[in-house]
Amino acid sequence: MTFTLVARCPKSGQIGIGIATYSIGVGLYCNGLRANVGATMTQAFVNQGNNTLALRLLAQGFAPARVLDELAANDPDFAYRQIAVIDRDGRTVAYSGPKTRGWSGHKIGDGYVAMGNVLAGPKVVDAIAQAYEVHAGESFERRLLRAIEAGRDAGGQVGNDGHLTERSAGIFVYGAYDHAELDLRVDLHDKAIDELHRAFEEYELYRGYYRDRGKNPRDAVPQDVFVAGLKQHQEAAQ
Amino acid sequence: MTYSIIGRCGRTGRLGLGITTFSLAVGGRCEGIAAGIGVCKTQAFPNRTNDPLGIKLLAEGFVPARIMEMFAANDSEHDYRQIAIMDRDGRIAAHTGAGTRGWSGHQIDADCVAFGNGLVGPQVLAGLIAGFKTRPDDALEYRLMRAIEGGRDAGGQGNATTHKPERSAAIKVVDRLDYPDIDVRVDVHPTAVAELRRVLEEFKLYEEFYRERGRNPSKAIPQDVFVANLNASRA
Repeated sequence: MTFTLVARCPKSGQIGIGIATYSIGVGLYCNGLRANVGATMTQAFVNQGNNTLALRLLAQGFAPARVLDELAANDPDFAYRQIAVIDRDGRTVAYSGPKTRGWSGHKIGDGYVAMGNVLAGPKVVDAIAQAYEVHAGESFERRLLRAIEAGRDAGGQVGNDGHLTERSAGIFVYGAYDHAELDLRVDLHDKAIDELHRAFEEYELYRGYYRDRGKNPRDAVPQDVFVAGLKQHQEAAQ
Repeated sequence: MTYSIIGRCGRTGRLGLGITTFSLAVGGRCEGIAAGIGVCKTQAFPNRTNDPLGIKLLAEGFVPARIMEMFAANDSEHDYRQIAIMDRDGRIAAHTGAGTRGWSGHQIDADCVAFGNGLVGPQVLAGLIAGFKTRPDDALEYRLMRAIEGGRDAGGQGNATTHKPERSAAIKVVDRLDYPDIDVRVDVHPTAVAELRRVLEEFKLYEEFYRERGRNPSKAIPQDVFVANLNASRA
C-alpha cells in the first residue's frame, strides 16, 4: 500500500521521487537516488538491498532494463516486489510483481513511472501521471507534490476494510551534487500528504537562505533575523 | 543554532547521529553516515559538500584528524563550520570554527561527540553526553534520543533572554548494511524533539514487521491486520 512517482526532469536533469503510504517512516526506504546516475525505488514487500544494488549497476553502465533483470535473478521473492528504475537519460522500466497486494500496477510515461499497490484502482496511477504532466510549467519539486496529491484525490490506498490514510510521505530531489537538493519528509501523521504540503510551502521560504548561508557565511544574516523579515513580509502581504 | 550527537555502540559497532535545530528539515541534510565507514556532520554554516567528501575519505582509510585537516585546506570558509567526524573504530575529530554564532562548542567523550552552536551554554553539551550515557546497554537509537532530550532539557538553543524552539530533528543509525537501520525524522514542528520521540516509539513497534515483511513476503500478514492486532494489544 503505497503510491509513488519516480521521475527525471528533462529540462533540468534532476531526478526525484514523490511518495506516500500507509506505512510509517517511508523515507527510510527512499535511498535510490544518485546524481548523474539515476533513480530507483523498490516498494510493496521491500527488498532493502535493491535500491543500492540498482544504483551501483546503473553507475557501472547497465541499462535500466538489464538492471531489472539482474534484480529478478538475484531475488527468490521477486514476485512480491514493485520496482521502478530510471537512468540519467530518462530511460525507464517498471515491474509490479504478481504477488503484490490489492490493485497493483504502474504507468510509464516520458521519463517517469507512476506506480502503486493496494490502491483504489488504475485511476490512482493515471491521476499521478496526469498531474505530473499537466503541471509541466512548474518546478520539478512541486510537480512531484502535485502528483501524489492527485493520487490521493483519486482514491489512494484501499485495504480490506476500505480507504487507508497516508501516514507517511516524502519528496526527494537530486541535481548535480551528491547530496539532496530537497529531502523533505513526514514520518508519522494521520494526513501525511496535507502535512507534507504544509512542510513544503514552509521549507520553500527557507531553501535559498539555507543554501546561501553555507556558501557565503560572511554575508549571512542570523536565522532569527531572516525569520523576522519573513514574518514582516507575510504580514504586509495580508 | 543546532545541537547534535554522533555516537557509537561499543557492543554492536552500530553508528548513529542524533540532531535537532531551529532550522527546518535538518534530517534532509544528514547524508554523512555510512555503515562500516563512519559518520561526518557539518553544521552551523554548513558546507554541503563536506559530509559526502568526509565519508569518501574515511572509506579511503584516512583517520578523522587527517580528514579535518583536509577540510580546512579545502574550504576558505572553514572558520564558519562546525564539524564532527567519527570513524568505525570510534576515533573522533571535531572542529568549532571561530565564525560560528552564539555559544558554540564541542565535547568529546568515549564513543560519542556532542557539538552545537547558538546554544545557551556548555551545559547543553553536558546534557547531550549525560543523556547518551544514561543507559549504555540500550539500543543506540534510544541513547541518541535520550541525548537530544538531555540537550533540550539543559536549555537547548538560545541565549540569556531568548529560547529558540527545536523545529526539526532526526536520528539515523547504521549497522552492517548499506541502508540505515533507523531513520526517523521530524521536519517542521513547534516541539520537534518531543515529536521525534513519538515517531521513534511508534516506528519501533513496526520495525520488525517491516523488516520481516520484506525478507519473507510469503509469510507476511497485511499491514492493516498487523495494525488491528497492535491496537488490540494496546487496548
